[in-house]
Amino acid sequence: MSKRTAISHIRTFNFRLIYKLLGSLLMWLSAAMILPCAVSLVCHDGSQFELSISMLLMLAAGLFLHNIAGRGAAYELHEKESFWLTSLMWLLIPLLGAMPFVLSGSVNNFVDALFESVSGFTTTGSSILTNLDEVPRGVIVWRSMTQWVGGLGLIMFIIAMQRRLHVGGTHLYGAEFSGTIQRKLNPHMTTSVSLMWRVYIAMTIGLLAILLLTGNGFLNAFCITMSAVSSGGFLPSSAGLSDFSTLSLGVLTVFMLFSGINIALLYKLFTGHFADMWHDEELRLYLILFICGASAIAVSMYSACITLPSAIGRACFHVASTISTCGLVLPADTSMPTWPLLAAIITLLFIVLGASAGSTGGGLKLKRVMILFRYVQNYLLSMVHPRAVAKVKIDGRVISNEYINKVFAFVFLYMAFAAGGTLLLTDSGQPLASSICLALANLSNLGPTPLIHIADPTFCYTALPTLSKCGLIVLMLAGRIEIFALIAIFSPAYWKR
Amino acid sequence: MHTLSRPSKLSALLHPIGLPLMGEGLLMVVCNIVGLLKGDAWEPSLLLCACALTALGWSLNRFVPKGDMSTDRRLPYLLVTLLWLVVALFGTIPFLTTGCIRSLPDALFESMSGFTSTGATVVNDVEQLPATILLWRSATQWVGGFGIILIVLAVVPTLGINKYSLYTAEASGADAAKSTNTTRDAVRHTLSVYLLLTFFFITALRLSGLHWWEAINLTFTNISSGGFSTHNDGLSSLPHASQWLLGAAMLLSGINFTLMYDIGRLRFRNIKNKLEQLRYYIAMSACCILLTVITLHFHDGETWPTALRLGTLQGISFISTTGSLLTDTEQWWMPLLIVLMTLTLCGGMAGSTAGGLKTMRIVILLRNVRNLLRGRLHPHAVSPIRLNGHPVAPHLITNVMVIFFVYAFVMVAAACLLLLMGVPAKETIGATIGCLTGYGPGLGSCGGLGNYASMCGGAKLLLAFVMLMGRLECLTILLLFIPRFWTRR
Repeated sequence: MSKRTAISHIRTFNFRLIYKLLGSLLMWLSAAMILPCAVSLVCHDGSQFELSISMLLMLAAGLFLHNIAGRGAAYELHEKESFWLTSLMWLLIPLLGAMPFVLSGSVNNFVDALFESVSGFTTTGSSILTNLDEVPRGVIVWRSMTQWVGGLGLIMFIIAMQRRLHVGGTHLYGAEFSGTIQRKLNPHMTTSVSLMWRVYIAMTIGLLAILLLTGNGFLNAFCITMSAVSSGGFLPSSAGLSDFSTLSLGVLTVFMLFSGINIALLYKLFTGHFADMWHDEELRLYLILFICGASAIAVSMYSACITLPSAIGRACFHVASTISTCGLVLPADTSMPTWPLLAAIITLLFIVLGASAGSTGGGLKLKRVMILFRYVQNYLLSMVHPRAVAKVKIDGRVISNEYINKVFAFVFLYMAFAAGGTLLLTDSGQPLASSICLALANLSNLGPTPLIHIADPTFCYTALPTLSKCGLIVLMLAGRIEIFALIAIFSPAYWKR
Repeated sequence: MHTLSRPSKLSALLHPIGLPLMGEGLLMVVCNIVGLLKGDAWEPSLLLCACALTALGWSLNRFVPKGDMSTDRRLPYLLVTLLWLVVALFGTIPFLTTGCIRSLPDALFESMSGFTSTGATVVNDVEQLPATILLWRSATQWVGGFGIILIVLAVVPTLGINKYSLYTAEASGADAAKSTNTTRDAVRHTLSVYLLLTFFFITALRLSGLHWWEAINLTFTNISSGGFSTHNDGLSSLPHASQWLLGAAMLLSGINFTLMYDIGRLRFRNIKNKLEQLRYYIAMSACCILLTVITLHFHDGETWPTALRLGTLQGISFISTTGSLLTDTEQWWMPLLIVLMTLTLCGGMAGSTAGGLKTMRIVILLRNVRNLLRGRLHPHAVSPIRLNGHPVAPHLITNVMVIFFVYAFVMVAAACLLLLMGVPAKETIGATIGCLTGYGPGLGSCGGLGNYASMCGGAKLLLAFVMLMGRLECLTILLLFIPRFWTRR
């Protein structure tokens, strides 16, 4: 093959494969919808018909994309295509996933349904629904499942399913997890991804079993499991966590903490390589932050009306929920009239910092923050000692300058998105403080947090104007696919040859 | 080069401070003498303190032996910080001795706001202040606006060989392309432009119908991108011609002074190095102006002439981080204020009196991010960032990214501390940005024609420190907080 043909071959956009992969994902999703349908049949909530229609539509779309639009696709995927696939997928899947909400009539307009669906797939957990008890159970189950699917990332789903992708898988992986240095579990991308899936599934089954054993109803336990493991945050009913025993809440705290840890490290935990876990600097920082944050908040909440044990318990739950960007909120905290100031500030900082890289959580990611602080310290010292050569090291590995530059750029983009979101929200008449909290909570995929009620205790997303809702949808997506992929497809350079 | 306790190093820090302190003491005396012309009485305690200060400065300069700066690289950074702290601390004398401002945190806030040319004030009723104090406030801004460059002019000749490290501490590398070879020349040119502009605007303002007194005060505060005013309502009650003149002064205060010198001397070959920054500065100002004018007309329902005047002048005030007020901006639409505050963070050009991140850094930052986005799509493409047609050195890009991050960090840290001190959220955000960039007014009660008087003493001290951080571009001071800076190695 001559050089010219090789280059032109690379430059043609492999749309077919994109369609094919999308189609396969859709088919899997429609298969997953069997569960909500079954729940709906069992509960007689009257939504089985609508759910089956959405399932069939999804199946039809999947079949069309997979078998007709993507027929005879070459299994070759390059970086450009992976960006497009990532973005397209994150736009299309929530769009189709919004169908059950619209069809069942639980949400009145389309933007609201899309908001709910995006919030699920991005594991944010911000909800537009005001009265959860009126919503059919089948829809509630579907809503919880979207979080679980989005938890590891839609791309990870595809990589695990399509073992033929090989190199393309690595590109895809990079498109969704831009810039997190991932410790691969196995030299083969597909193998290591499927190991991650196994960990994820094991965690899910473990939590579900424990919750059932501690005496919770199946539906409640199932939905909360989906929210906790994926660091989502949707609640199944307006009663929320009030039925949960202290023991169940304790278990939830631990699993939420897990959901903010790098999945590769959790694998080490399950296979008994504890030394590897302990030597991971990011995990250590994560735990230190958790302990410091929880104790500070416990102290600030501890007062005459709350006993110390309950303050500690609540603080631990809250901090675990925040730092893993999960977003489950205890009923006691939502109704708390004045959230202590120190607690609010710590919460806001943790929202920005986010979970570990390679976990299901969002935010800036601790690894990036660590790199930045070490680099800046080195830089400052180099002003005094110009000849000293100091490299940034994480876990004994030197981080390249190019990578550090990317981290800086990521922080910049994160702040730009946060500022843009704040601007849109103030436009809708929200006070400045709650606009910032809302923008950050959604950009970091945290979702519900006592902070968003700080200015207005009765705040709910339903009341926001459509423009603000659309802005929040963009923020959630940007936070989830870590901004780069989303910007890339909107930049003119992407479409140039 | 190990410990800082050796006498030679201590004297290297103390000796250069003498001259500025002497100048400060003399300036106080001059202010009181001018105040006499406006009907003030002699202020014996102020004069006594001023004389003592002058004597202190003189004796530091006379009796402390010259130290050798070149023995330790930490000294320049320490000196710069110390100099600003000491000058601002002694700058509280006029406020305290005349009893215009009674508490030390308030006085320090006001003094720091002057010397960093920020323009945030704790004075509720400016018009009640004696003329001496008004002139002192304006003069501190004029001196501070020219900032360290002027101080360097006084200090550098007394130093040994290490002229350059002091200058880089102030400019933090952003002004890499200097049109003249030596720092000394750059400083001289800057000073000449500064003086010329000052004389020009004083005369022009006098001709536009202001009294000499106001012309001098307002020129001092606007050419230095400071923003103190002699009126409670800012500039809004001035004749329109004077307002436009002050707008021009503000716009010029955000432009690199060496560039203006080169343009004035028709040395167009040197201009090329800074033309791109100038273009971006003008573009950003235009953006600021356009946004404000359009919003004022269509959202707030101002007539076109008013919207045009207020929008243009207030927009310039924002982008040049001056903080002079043409109207009570607190009444403006919140999203507009957020955008304007963000543009204030971008600030004027490097080598001007403006604060903020500086145009050049913003350009490099944005190009770097754009390059990275492209680089992700074309991993093997090598596309260096260019500025004025020349590739930008990698260490400069690093410098820009670090300063951006440090700015963000300082902002977040200061905001958290302010919140803990009980300042409401809106005021916190506004005050942090206002003080860090050197704009001055914030949002809420400290925004617009409001002031910082209602904040607690701790918050004022913190904000004074934030102003200093902003003026010295964070790095110099953050360095002092790293434990390894102090340990011997």
